[in-house]
Amino acid sequence: MLKLKIDKYRLYELLSPIIGFLAAIIVLLIIVIVVGESPAKAVSAVFKFTMSTTARLATVFSIAIPLFFAGLAVALAFRAGVFNIGAEGQYFIGGLVGAMAGIYLRLPAFIHIPVVVLFSMIGGALWALIPAILKVTKGIHEVITTIMFNNIALALVNYLVNEPLSGRGTSSLEAQTHEIRKTALFGKLNNLFRAIGWNVPDHVYLDYSLIVAILMGILVWFLLFRMRYGFEIRSVGTSLDVSHYAGIRVKHIQIGAFLISGALAGLVGSQEIFAIRGFYTFEIASGLGFEGIAIALIGRNSPLGVVFSAILFAFLKQAGYGLQLYTSVPNAVIYVITGLMIIFIVVINEIMTRYIRALRKKEAG
Amino acid sequence: MNISILLDFALKGLEMSAPIAFAALGAVFSEKSGVINIALEGFMIVTAFTVVWGSIAFQSIWMGLLFALIAGILMSLIHAVATITFRVDQIVSGVAINILAIGVGRFLSQRIFAQETQSAINPYLFPTFHGINSFAFALIPIAFISWFVLYKTVFGLRLRTVGENPEAADTLGINVYLLRYAGVMISGVMCGFAAATLYPSRWINGMTGGRGFIALAAMIFGRWHPIGALFAAMLFGYADTFRIMFETKIPIPSQFVQMLPYVLAIVVLAGMVGKAHAPAADGKPYEMGEE
Repeated sequence: MLKLKIDKYRLYELLSPIIGFLAAIIVLLIIVIVVGESPAKAVSAVFKFTMSTTARLATVFSIAIPLFFAGLAVALAFRAGVFNIGAEGQYFIGGLVGAMAGIYLRLPAFIHIPVVVLFSMIGGALWALIPAILKVTKGIHEVITTIMFNNIALALVNYLVNEPLSGRGTSSLEAQTHEIRKTALFGKLNNLFRAIGWNVPDHVYLDYSLIVAILMGILVWFLLFRMRYGFEIRSVGTSLDVSHYAGIRVKHIQIGAFLISGALAGLVGSQEIFAIRGFYTFEIASGLGFEGIAIALIGRNSPLGVVFSAILFAFLKQAGYGLQLYTSVPNAVIYVITGLMIIFIVVINEIMTRYIRALRKKEAG
Repeated sequence: MNISILLDFALKGLEMSAPIAFAALGAVFSEKSGVINIALEGFMIVTAFTVVWGSIAFQSIWMGLLFALIAGILMSLIHAVATITFRVDQIVSGVAINILAIGVGRFLSQRIFAQETQSAINPYLFPTFHGINSFAFALIPIAFISWFVLYKTVFGLRLRTVGENPEAADTLGINVYLLRYAGVMISGVMCGFAAATLYPSRWINGMTGGRGFIALAAMIFGRWHPIGALFAAMLFGYADTFRIMFETKIPIPSQFVQMLPYVLAIVVLAGMVGKAHAPAADGKPYEMGEE
């Protein structure tokens, strides 16, 4: 009997992301109507652009890869009670460090690819180091320092790509590095998918970054739920005081989680740099670090949850383009919906918690 | 260096400081009442749009200002309802509002001006004084009024009490929620003023350029004090003005000059003597006791 009740409460908790998502979709439909479009047309536009063909669906998964890294990075930090708003700067630096290893090191492919992945992670972790130290030693909130570091990273990368590391060809107007060596480029897995019967067309990027993503997802899950260090991370995130009393070195754990988070963030740009472009430029997609925060929240900071929410966000992005293309609803509406969805989810979560508390009180007496 | 360049620098610096300073003053009110507000950036994106739209639509910058204030209050209400009434994590709410605001700005621009990235040009501006937006001068009296309100009025005392010790305030019969709503809404109003000094002649996607976040750093550097925040914001504003005016004359790459305010912020925060004086209950949701 008791066990059944607990399950009921868990069910309520799991409901909030779903209700939040549905509420946001209702707002979207209202906006569609206000703009003067028919909801049916909007729904069909979204469907057409996201899942009408294998290529469309594969594109959603492709877009989800960098989002997954961003979400996973933020989620891991969250678990230790660290708010890493700096994923943005960390992936700009991480990507550059990785690209440097891809340009200037001469290695056979089977070593070169893991090396550029590792260098990207090291770059990201290094960019998280100072905010991490300032947080634990000086108590300066990481939200402020990482935002400053994002801006510093953008300016620094802009300088490096324009001046000392410039490899600007005559054909390109935008500042970029030299080409990355063939041995460090991420190949596509499209043939592999075709072999198992999923006909992914050539222009869609399902590349080695997908393997790296799966690997990182498993590693983070293992770290968090199967290792002592992960248990300590979760403990610190749940209660600083209790962890302190339990003899956990809180500062040590927070710095560690911050660095691992930075390392994961370092991979956000890897698909674009090593698979799509083949060189580094500060024009790589920006803003993914901030999206990572939303993705982590909706994925409830668990690796599996982040998989789903990264796919959801990729779906929303494509849905935005679909709406823009086939209806008069601007793409910008997706930002509105995303922001509202986060607010709805956390608010509904709070209402659920209060409701559960009231229920428990009533049951208790 | 002659006098006219110096005067130019002084005035231009004030104009550049104003949006940061207004937002920082807003942050002081919000955080003094106990609510962390990282949504200032988002507030400013929307108020910067409404000041332009309101001016064009009603052919008066004052109407633009009015709409900026209304928009600031509406945006701040979202944050207030989420964080005070529903006690949602204040940083999460701020992040969500910042994402929402990007969409609102671009959506409205697309619908009203048929362009997602910029609005039409607004010819209805505040009069200029030596080439700068004269509304920037309002910053000085507003900063002092903020100080007066916070430290010399009953309202200010109560606001600060709610941010320091909401339990005690509640026991004394002070309505914690009401005061926190006021604190957050004042930050919305301040972001309306910020928009009026930012660049009211045209809205451009991304024009706020992180000033809302710089304002937060200014508030911390200014130790949660209105006058401190004013001077800290001026430090950032003048550093930026220096970059723009003398970029070509300095032998360092412009990107390093660009980094300067941010590096400065980090160094200053890291070097701040003693503990930073955040209000004790800053960031902590409070549940008012039942009658």
